[in-house]
Amino acid sequence: MSIRLASAAIFLIAALYAWTAQDYTASFGDVLGPSVFPVMVGIPAMALALSLVVFPGGTTSWPLLPRLFRQAMALAALLGYALLLEPLGFPLATAAVIAAVAVVLDGPVLKSLMIGVAGSLSLWVLFDQLLGLPIDFFGTLFGG
Amino acid sequence: MGSKTMISAKLAIATAATVFSLSAAPQAAQANECIAPSSPGGGWDFTCRTIGRILTELNLVDGNVQITNMAGGVGAVTYATVEAKRSDDPNLIVATSTVGITQIAQGRYPSGIETMRYLGMLGADVGVIAVAADSKYETLAQLNEAIVADASSVVTAGSSGAGGWDHIRLLLVARAAGLEDLSSLRWVQFDGGTDAVTQMMGGQLDVVSTDLGEIAGFVESGDIRILAALSTDPIPAFPDIPTAISQGVDVTGYNWRGLYTGGNVSDEAYDKWVERLKTLYDSEEWQTAAVDFGLVPIWIGGAEFETYVREQEKIMADISRDIGIIE
Amino acid sequence: MEILSSLGLGFSVALQPLHLALLLFGCFAGTLIGAMPGLGPVNGVAILIPLTFAFGFDATASLILLSAVYFGCMYGGRISSILLNIPGDEPAVMTTLDGYPMAQQGHAANALAISGVASFIGATVAIIGLTLFAPMLAKAAIYFGPADYFALYIMAFATIGGLSGVDPRKTLLSALLGLMIATVGLDPATGIPRYTTGSFHLYDGIDPIVALVGLFAISELLFLLEKTIKDRDVAIRLTTWIPDVKVVVGTLWATLRGSIVGFVAGVLPGAGASLGAVMSYSIEKQVSNKNNTFGKGDPRGVAAPEAGNNSASAGALIPMLSLGVPGSGTTAVMLAMLISLNVQPGPLLFERQPDLVWGLVASLYMANVMLLILNLPLIGLFTRLMAVPTWALMPLVVAVSFVGVYSISNSTFDLYVMIGFGLLGYVLRKLDITLVPLVLGLLLGTDMENNLRRALSISGGDFGVLVASWISIGLYVATAAFLILSVFLAARDRKRVPTEAG
Repeated sequence: MSIRLASAAIFLIAALYAWTAQDYTASFGDVLGPSVFPVMVGIPAMALALSLVVFPGGTTSWPLLPRLFRQAMALAALLGYALLLEPLGFPLATAAVIAAVAVVLDGPVLKSLMIGVAGSLSLWVLFDQLLGLPIDFFGTLFGG
Repeated sequence: MGSKTMISAKLAIATAATVFSLSAAPQAAQANECIAPSSPGGGWDFTCRTIGRILTELNLVDGNVQITNMAGGVGAVTYATVEAKRSDDPNLIVATSTVGITQIAQGRYPSGIETMRYLGMLGADVGVIAVAADSKYETLAQLNEAIVADASSVVTAGSSGAGGWDHIRLLLVARAAGLEDLSSLRWVQFDGGTDAVTQMMGGQLDVVSTDLGEIAGFVESGDIRILAALSTDPIPAFPDIPTAISQGVDVTGYNWRGLYTGGNVSDEAYDKWVERLKTLYDSEEWQTAAVDFGLVPIWIGGAEFETYVREQEKIMADISRDIGIIE
Repeated sequence: MEILSSLGLGFSVALQPLHLALLLFGCFAGTLIGAMPGLGPVNGVAILIPLTFAFGFDATASLILLSAVYFGCMYGGRISSILLNIPGDEPAVMTTLDGYPMAQQGHAANALAISGVASFIGATVAIIGLTLFAPMLAKAAIYFGPADYFALYIMAFATIGGLSGVDPRKTLLSALLGLMIATVGLDPATGIPRYTTGSFHLYDGIDPIVALVGLFAISELLFLLEKTIKDRDVAIRLTTWIPDVKVVVGTLWATLRGSIVGFVAGVLPGAGASLGAVMSYSIEKQVSNKNNTFGKGDPRGVAAPEAGNNSASAGALIPMLSLGVPGSGTTAVMLAMLISLNVQPGPLLFERQPDLVWGLVASLYMANVMLLILNLPLIGLFTRLMAVPTWALMPLVVAVSFVGVYSISNSTFDLYVMIGFGLLGYVLRKLDITLVPLVLGLLLGTDMENNLRRALSISGGDFGVLVASWISIGLYVATAAFLILSVFLAARDRKRVPTEAG
C-alpha cells in the first residue's frame, strides 16, 4: 500500500514538474530551450511511477507509534536548530541540538548535556579557529 | 571502555576550547570579509582572493581578509543577502564586474544599482574574438563576411549564457558588421572560456568570444588565433593582436573587476574602503598580480565610479533591448 | 628515458624538507576533512588556500600541499561511508553499498583496509598514467564533444540500472528524481529561473553535498530511531579489529579493473571522481557478481569504487594541468589557486615550468605512499568508533554535518533543505528505492542537460548530431552490449538460484 501511495505522489509531482516545464521559454536562447529536458525527464518518471501504482513491488513496514514519535522529536530538534541557530548563536544552539538528539536516542540526560556542551565548543574551535570558516559566536539575540 | 575514554577526552578538549574561544571570539567578529558571489575559481573569486591577500600584505587591514564564496544566480543571491542582512556592515566588500552590471540591467537581480554603494574598479579584462589555429578565418573581416552571408553557418561560443556579456560582445561585433537577424547566430554556452576554447580546438566550434586572460596560454602556444581584441588600444602583453577598431569595427568590450559594499554603510566607512583600494591599486603587488592574470589595470573609484556604473547599466539595458534580450 | 630524468627532477623537488613536511601535513589534514560529512575535497582545498598565502609558499609548495589534501580527502571520505553509512563526500557514495554491510557484519577493519589499499593502487595506476601519457591524453580529450559527453552520461545511467537487487523500475525512478532535482535553479544557457518558486536561495540549484548529507546522515538517524537501543549495537559485538590479509589480497583484480575504468573517467573533463566510482562499481558487479553477493558486503564492491574514485581524481589532474580545464569541483579550486599564484595551466605548462609539474607528479607518488602508511595503522582507531554508543556518536555526526554545511554557505536555508532531503531519503529507503541513482542524477544532471543542449545548438536543432561521431556511436554500442549482457546474466542467475529471485 505504501508503495502505491508514494508512487502516486511521485506521479503527481512528476506531472506537475513536466507541466510547469512547458512555461519555461526564453525569447533569446539556444535551440532546445529550457523546457525540453525537464519534459524528457518528467514523462518517463510519470510512466514509471504509474507502473508502480498499478504493479507495486516489495513490502514496507513502518515503525510503531512510539518510534515514530521519537523520529518526529528528532526532526523537530533539527528544525529547531535551523530556526534558532542565528538568534541563539552557535554554541548554545549546537549544544542544545546535540543534547536533544542524544536524549531522543536514549542517552542519559546529564551525559547528553555534557556531550552537547563539549561537542559544540570543540566544533566551533575546529571550524572557526582551525579551519578558518567563520561562524558567529554570539547570536543576534545577544548583539552578535 | 571505548565510550568513556572518548567522552572524557572530549571534555578535556572542551575545557581548553572554552578558554581559547573566550579570548578569540570578539576578534573574529570584526574581521574584514570579501564575498565572492560564485564558487571558488573564476574572476570574482580571483578578485576577492587577490585583493584580500594584498590588503593583508600591505597592512591596510588588521589580520586576514575572510573570503566567503556565496554562489547563486550570477551574483543575485549575494545581492539579496547583502541587501537584507548586511547593508550597514562596514567590514564587508563584495566582488562584481561588468557581468554583474549586465545582470542588473536585464533585471535579473532582486533590486537595482541604487541598493548598493559601488567602491571602485581595479582592472579590466579585454574581450577577444578567437578562432582555432587551423581555422579558415584569417581576419575579422572574413569572419564577418561569412556571418553576414549565412549566420547559421558559424557556430559561436563563450563562457556566458545567451544574452550574457560574452554573447552581447559578439553580437555587437556582428551588428557592426551588418548582421540584421542577430538571433540567427548560433551561440553555445560553456562554463568557462577555457572549456569553450578546448572544444573549439577539438573541432566542435568555429568562434569563441570571451575574456583574454583565461585563454592567453592557448594564444601563446599557438593553438588558437585572436582575430580581434575588443579594446581601444592594443593589449600591452600581446601588441600584435589587432583591435576590432583598427579593422573598422567600432566595438569595445571590457570586463572590469570591482567591488561594492552595502547601501547603508556610513560615508566614513565607504571613504575608508575607497582609500584602501586606491592604495592597493597603486601598489607594485596589485599591478603585478593584475597583469599576470591578464587584466589591464584601470582605476575608477568613489563617486566617479558610482556615476560610471549607472551609465554602464543604462548602456547595457539599451543594448539588451536593441538586441532583443529584454523587452 | 626523458620521462625518467623528468621524474628524477621531480623527486629532487619533492624531497626537499619543506615539501615533505607539507605533504605529511596535507595528507593528515585531508584525511580529517574528508572524513567529516559535509566537507569534501573542494572545501579541503579551499580551506587551505589562505594558509598557502599566509605562509608565502611558492606555487610548487602550494600545489604539493593542496594535492596532498585532495588525495587525503579522497582517502578520508570513505571512513564514514563504511562505518556509518554516511558518505563523507560525493565520490564516496558508492562505497556505502558494500562497505556498510561489511561493517555491520563485523568486517569494518577489512573494509577499511581494502579501501585503503584500493585507493593506493587506484591512485598509483593513475599517476603512472599521468606520468607517461599526460600531454597525449589531453590532446585526445579535446575531441570529446558535447554529444559524446551526453552519450557517456546515458551510459552511466544505463549501467546503474542493475545497481541494486531490487526492482529496476525503482532504480530508474530514483535516477529520474535526481535529474529532476538537478534542473532546479537558473538555467545556464538562458538564465531563466526554473522551479525556484521565486526564491533566490534556489537560484544556484540544490547543492549536491547538502542533498547528499541530508539524504544519508539524517535518514540514517531516522533509521536508527526505528530500532530500540538493544538492537542498535549488534555490529560492535561482531567486530574484529585486525584486517584479514587474505580478504584484502582477494580484491586485487577488482581493484585493478576499477583503477583503469576510473582513470578513463577522470581524464575526461566534466566526468570526475563520482562517475569514476559509479562506472567502476557497475562494471565490477557485472563481471564478478556470480553469487549475487554485491550490495550485501562483497569486498570487491568496496575495492572497485575506491580504486575508481582515486584513480579518477588523479586522472582529473591531466586536463587541469595540460588544458586548464577543471575536471571536477576540486580541480576548479586548484586551478583558481594556481592562477592567483601566477601560474597559468595550459598547453605550455609542461614546457615552461617542468619543475612544478614533475615536482607535483613526484609528490603525488609520495603522498600516496604516505597516505597508505598513515591510514593502515589508523584502521584500529577508526574501527573503535563503532564501540562508541549510538546515542553519543550520532548526535555529534549530525552536528558535524550541519556545521559543515552551514559554515560553507552561511545560510540556514541549506539546513532546511538538508532536513527535507533527510525525510525524503528516509521515505525512499523505506520503499526500497536506492538513493545512489538519485545522487548520481543530481550530480550529473546539469552537465547532461547542458551537453545535450550544446550539441543541438551546434547542429542547429538536428538530433542526428547525437550519433554523428564515432565516439558517441562507440559509447552507445557499449551501453547496449552492457544492457544485453546484464539481462542475459540475470536470466542465468535466476535459473541457478531460484530461491533468491524475490
